[in-house]
Amino acid sequence: MSVRVQRFPSAPPSAALAARVVAIVLALLVAGIILAGTGASPLKLAGQVIKATFGSSFGLEDVGLLVTPLILTGLSVAVAQRIGAWNIGGEGQFYAGAFAATGVALFIPGPSIVMLPLMFVAGAIGGALWILIPTLARAYADVNELITTLLLNFVATLLVYWVATGPWLDPGGQALATTARLPHDIPEFWGIVHWGFPLAVVITILVAAVLAFTRWGYEVRIAGSNPQAAKYAGMPFRRHLILVMLLSGAIAGIAGMFEVAGTVHRLQGGISNNFGYLGIMVAVLARGSALGVLAGAALMGIILNSGIILQTQGLNVSTVLAITGLILFFTAIGDELAHYRIIRTEPAKA
Amino acid sequence: MDLIAGLIQTSILAGGVLALAALGEVLAERVGVVNLGAEGLMALGAITGIATVVAIPNPALGFLCALLVGLMVGCVFAFVTVYIRANQVLCGLALTLMGTGFAATIGKAYSGMPAPATFAPIAIPYLSEIPVIGRGLFTQNILVYLIYIVLPIALHYLMFRTRHGLNMRALGENPAAADAAGIPVQKIRFWYVAAGSALAGGAGAYLTLAFVPSWSEGVVAGRGWIAVSLVIFAGYRPLNAVGAALLFGLITSLGFVGQARNWPIAAPILSMLPYLGTIAFIIVPVVAWQRMRRIMAAPAALGEPYYRDVR
Repeated sequence: MSVRVQRFPSAPPSAALAARVVAIVLALLVAGIILAGTGASPLKLAGQVIKATFGSSFGLEDVGLLVTPLILTGLSVAVAQRIGAWNIGGEGQFYAGAFAATGVALFIPGPSIVMLPLMFVAGAIGGALWILIPTLARAYADVNELITTLLLNFVATLLVYWVATGPWLDPGGQALATTARLPHDIPEFWGIVHWGFPLAVVITILVAAVLAFTRWGYEVRIAGSNPQAAKYAGMPFRRHLILVMLLSGAIAGIAGMFEVAGTVHRLQGGISNNFGYLGIMVAVLARGSALGVLAGAALMGIILNSGIILQTQGLNVSTVLAITGLILFFTAIGDELAHYRIIRTEPAKA
Repeated sequence: MDLIAGLIQTSILAGGVLALAALGEVLAERVGVVNLGAEGLMALGAITGIATVVAIPNPALGFLCALLVGLMVGCVFAFVTVYIRANQVLCGLALTLMGTGFAATIGKAYSGMPAPATFAPIAIPYLSEIPVIGRGLFTQNILVYLIYIVLPIALHYLMFRTRHGLNMRALGENPAAADAAGIPVQKIRFWYVAAGSALAGGAGAYLTLAFVPSWSEGVVAGRGWIAVSLVIFAGYRPLNAVGAALLFGLITSLGFVGQARNWPIAAPILSMLPYLGTIAFIIVPVVAWQRMRRIMAAPAALGEPYYRDVR
């Protein structure tokens, strides 16, 4: 009997899941070792994080507030992946959604009960419009959407910075570099967590259901795994691609609307807090599964919150970004290694 | 006249960052590996450059250290993408997040500090006194000549005029055929990806030692991504890549001139120009000239890991 390692074309889900767990543990371990190198005690810091996060409902509320946008930006990336598209522009669509919702809130008078749904729609449209050009370029000219969506992030960041410091600057003048406080708030749902959180969960379940149980969702899945087969089967690949990418943008836009109307209440530069980029991480951890996004977002929310808790220890948002990158790196390696299996073969009988 | 002279000078200076990073990306993509980590590598190079000159005020040493850091990180990236064959897009994004985050974390101490030693422009006697173009072309730092003349010509010669260059391009197009011909696919891929990463690191140091010159969080500002896009626009050719980088230097410097001259356009809007320009330049040509798609096509095996044993 001999033993050899062979690569299989697909990785079993259990191996992929195990790869993710190992990747996260390894990344945190490496981060801990680096922290220990700077003289900090990683165990003490970890204890601090766990106590601050799970020790009180305030800690969990903080996490909930961070998880809300992460669910949606993660879902946005996961949806686009279903049809084989990389939407790395969640950050920009998030800004565009927040921008559109703020515009509606500031310049159209009305009662909150009417205005909040209107802002929601504006956020979705803002996000969808922000991905429109990359979508059409991909669908009709085969221009790589990964790069075009990403470059628009920088444009959106500058756009929001510009309106928040220029044309829409708070006329009251108390706050620097932000717009006036929005007249409409998303009401609270649990502690400081607003209704955006349950809505984000509902949107995710809805999208997961549509992708899993409708003919459209089936065709999108086929188009994602094998575009040629989809075209031969007479499925309108281009139409599906456009619709899915616009949906992806709209979801990220909604995340921006929730953030500005539920959490920050003013439009300002840096409002997206890297949620767009962290969403990529959420989607990768979820392995394209819409429901897995919920778990991925919870994990990223806890990691992000830990970074905020540890700010007094010299850590910051950038450190979290670096650790996130480390997790992504190990996950990518683990995903490939999950394709390999050790197989035993009987020697051929002579 | 003064405006044009200043514009030429700033364009060349600004384009140098993109040119160096784009040349690095050309190397990686020609052997079939997409390196989306350019942004992160540049951030690491930028902070390495500053940290080095703060310790030892010698810009050449800072640049060299940035190249080395780029090479080391590039070796890790190349090992994972070429030998382990992990997904190149994911690894590239991971590298960007890690590099940007890590550089910003250690960069806190250097934030806003002007570089104590920089690559100062050197006026070449007589030539720099030519009206209009003299100042722009002949009053530049030493790296500019390296990036715009020496490196691209050397790479062009290597890639299109030598047997080794043919081998290198072959394994970006059809690694199986190259392998059958006895070319060591993985080894060549590994070293070109690592070398390309070194250039990206160097581009970061150019940014903080010659162009800006100081460190601040977000100093790279998407230039790594613009460099990746330029490579597509340039059809994966080193000479074109440098030309494209110069064009983008011009777009960037238009923004600077606008701010300096108080044009009635807000500064953030002017800052959008390079990004919008990049998007336009990768979309418009393929829409306008269908033939361009074939001539400027990406290497056929770009982004695909090579497995010898799986068919």
